[in-house]
Amino acid sequence: MKRSLMLIAAVLGSVAAGSAVAYDADWKRGRVYYRQICTSCHTAQMPKPIAPNDKVKADWAAYLQADKHAKGKETVKQYFGKPYRASIKATNQAAAKFAEVPDQDLLDDVKAFLQKGAKDGDAPASCS
Amino acid sequence: MSATKIYVFKRFERFWHWAQMLLVLTLLTTGFEVHGAYRLFGFERAAGYHTIAAWSLVGLWVFAIFWHFTTGEWKQYIPTLAKVDAMIKYYALGIFTDAPHPFRATRLKKHNPLQRLAYLGVLLFISPLIWVTGWFYILHDNWTAWGWDKYLSLETVAFFHTVAAFMMLIFLIAHVYLTTAGHTPTSHIKAMITGWEEVGDEETGAPAAK
Amino acid sequence: MRNSTTRRWQGVVAGLWLISAGAFAAAEIKEAKEAPPVRLDSTADHSKFKQLQGTFDSGPKVTKACLSCHTEAARQVHRTKHWTWEFLNPDNQQRLGKKNVLNNFCISISQNYPFCTSCHVGYGWKDKNFDFAAEENVDCLVCHDTTGNYKKLPGLAGHPAYKPVETPPGSGNMVKPPDLAKIAQKIGKTSRDTCGACHFFGGGGDGVKHGDMDSSLAAPDKDLDIHMDATGLDFTCATCHATSSHDVPGSRYKPTATDKHGAHIRGKMGQGNPATCQACHGNTPHKEKARLNTHAEKIACQTCHVPTFARGGVATKMSWDWSTAGQKGADGKHMTRKDDHNHVIYDTRKGDFVLGEKVKPEYRWFNGDISYTLLGDKVEKSDVPTGVNRIGGSPADGRSMIWPMKVMRGVQPFDPINKTLVMPHTAGNDDIGFWKNLEWEKAIADGMQNMGAPFSGKVDFIKTEMFWPITHMVAPKDKALACAECHSADSRLKGIDGIYMPSHSQKRWLDIAGWLAAAATLLGVLIHGALRIVMSRRK
Repeated sequence: MKRSLMLIAAVLGSVAAGSAVAYDADWKRGRVYYRQICTSCHTAQMPKPIAPNDKVKADWAAYLQADKHAKGKETVKQYFGKPYRASIKATNQAAAKFAEVPDQDLLDDVKAFLQKGAKDGDAPASCS
Repeated sequence: MSATKIYVFKRFERFWHWAQMLLVLTLLTTGFEVHGAYRLFGFERAAGYHTIAAWSLVGLWVFAIFWHFTTGEWKQYIPTLAKVDAMIKYYALGIFTDAPHPFRATRLKKHNPLQRLAYLGVLLFISPLIWVTGWFYILHDNWTAWGWDKYLSLETVAFFHTVAAFMMLIFLIAHVYLTTAGHTPTSHIKAMITGWEEVGDEETGAPAAK
Repeated sequence: MRNSTTRRWQGVVAGLWLISAGAFAAAEIKEAKEAPPVRLDSTADHSKFKQLQGTFDSGPKVTKACLSCHTEAARQVHRTKHWTWEFLNPDNQQRLGKKNVLNNFCISISQNYPFCTSCHVGYGWKDKNFDFAAEENVDCLVCHDTTGNYKKLPGLAGHPAYKPVETPPGSGNMVKPPDLAKIAQKIGKTSRDTCGACHFFGGGGDGVKHGDMDSSLAAPDKDLDIHMDATGLDFTCATCHATSSHDVPGSRYKPTATDKHGAHIRGKMGQGNPATCQACHGNTPHKEKARLNTHAEKIACQTCHVPTFARGGVATKMSWDWSTAGQKGADGKHMTRKDDHNHVIYDTRKGDFVLGEKVKPEYRWFNGDISYTLLGDKVEKSDVPTGVNRIGGSPADGRSMIWPMKVMRGVQPFDPINKTLVMPHTAGNDDIGFWKNLEWEKAIADGMQNMGAPFSGKVDFIKTEMFWPITHMVAPKDKALACAECHSADSRLKGIDGIYMPSHSQKRWLDIAGWLAAAATLLGVLIHGALRIVMSRRK
């Protein structure tokens, strides 16, 4: 009995592990998406552009967790969605190039770039 | 006082003349811009228009040469020194005193002797100079491939092309002015538009050239 | 009973197991059609290698782990300029390379080793006694890092930080030591980031030296560089600088100014430098406007296709005047002055700078020959700048093209008695380095002694210039130079001899004569016409 249960657990466990290989975030893709989507829009529409090293890692994590953009009027996630990318891809090369990337992967990429480029990250990055 | 009119310029001839006028004006305008005299279209467009106009003029000339030889009209340009002195005298003096025009155009002789000489000069000197240098210019892209770059320099080609262009400009100024020096100030121009030239009264008009 | 219950349960479980196993099997078959996820960028996932598990407390230890598989790698690197910092120019036998040359930026590496060698592909070059034969001294990570977290700090002689380091000293900014194991496990191909870690920062800072290479090329957009465009072609440096055996082609010590080989074809031998434009595009790349191919017989591609350099938002140094170094602030301390763009234009330790962004290059006939003024070569102080390097080229030698150049202008220390350039010891927290002590004599004496070069003890300053051919930051074709940039009175190629440019090179006397003749004709006919009118009125 015990053996059987262990067997089941082992099988289920291995299946779960096999189907959910952790996504290895690509910070370089995140960097491109961040600059061409986040930075370019903020630069065009706000007096002071945002930069990864404006915040510490924990702040960026909290910001993405809270998922509030424009003082809570909208989500941050929508800017990583395929519909948003499709809507701007005619004029935005990053949106065009990454049009088919799964939303979560792209979000993870940018998250990885922000963690790396945060004020206390491994390689703090300014806006440029 | 009824003016005598004769049909001097045939339809193709008139078309040729006015089309050529447009092309030559385009070539002069764009050419001197390419040369750097002023800025009008911008270098790139000026050079582009210049090339297009040059090719168009080549096409027009192919037709014109064909026409001249098939119709025998080329004989209009055979030079004659007869009455050249009379023409010079007329332009220098007679024209002011309303003396009769020493030349009377006919179907067979539509250009006065001075005109013949001038046009022949254009045909034999200015045009060849401008054409040959122009061709070299157009073919510049192939100089290296054809080995011409050993014998030609763009500077020399450009120099003679420019010299010819200035001569063409001077011809043009004189030519335009002399169109007013016909039987009446507008008779030459009318002739080139309608084909019919007023050649003066039957009674008082100058005798037709032989 | 208990046994039978157990058995029953076992039976149920076994049944369930069979059913679920069947279901899983079906799923397996379906999944088998879609291959399991696989890395496509490499045949090896280095995180799975046992040699790279655990922690590493130094760079050389990582290298040893690398070499346990890549047995030839270090000795391949040993053969390259990246390692030796030496290059023998086969044309003029000049011994070049960073180890030997001077420039008019930070001048030279002599006695500044631990700082300069933060850009050496090795560990531990802290003085001239460095062991160039040691395999474990090769730094694999600096070129093959993919995390972007590997950093070699100035002053550590090519080592990364192994403990938190305040950078720059006194700034309070602590740089964390990189996690070497993590970096080693994520090793990969070189990238714009890895090459750029040094080449973007040549001359002591971002964009300082080259003008056509700075950190903006790490992830550039299309307008900045059509090939490296991160959302487009996304070329890495090695796409053009196609490397084999760790030896990167396309050096500026012996550039290819004219490439008549045409586009490279696989298998064809002797095709030359793979990093030239022609190596891909051939010699007649313009399909629509053939006339431009004619231009390309005399004009380097870069002349039209790199309209300006330092275009990515990072300024480059255009001149550096060392003679004004040493001025201190009112408080008696070192100071800096900045311009409106927040660029430092004066530094007590370094003197005055002029910086430029979106700079129009200067243009020169260039045949690829470069000779350097090396230590010991005689120089004369004059108003004409001394070439730290001099480029060869003329319209008539049959192998020159008109190239865009960044001309770096400087005023730098020299020895007025021996009439040579000098190599001062600048960096370092000691009582000799100029940047700390601001005493030229001592700093130069130390730098020269290290090279075994004579120094009279006298210091004067000499005007210098240095040529840097421009080749990166290739704009999209619609942003290439328009005709009128050169075909105009105010031509970019003003003063370049041996070419006739319509709209620029016309002969003045011909124009004057031509227009006068035309004007005279016009005046003549106007007078003639006026006379006719007057005469006819009189009647």
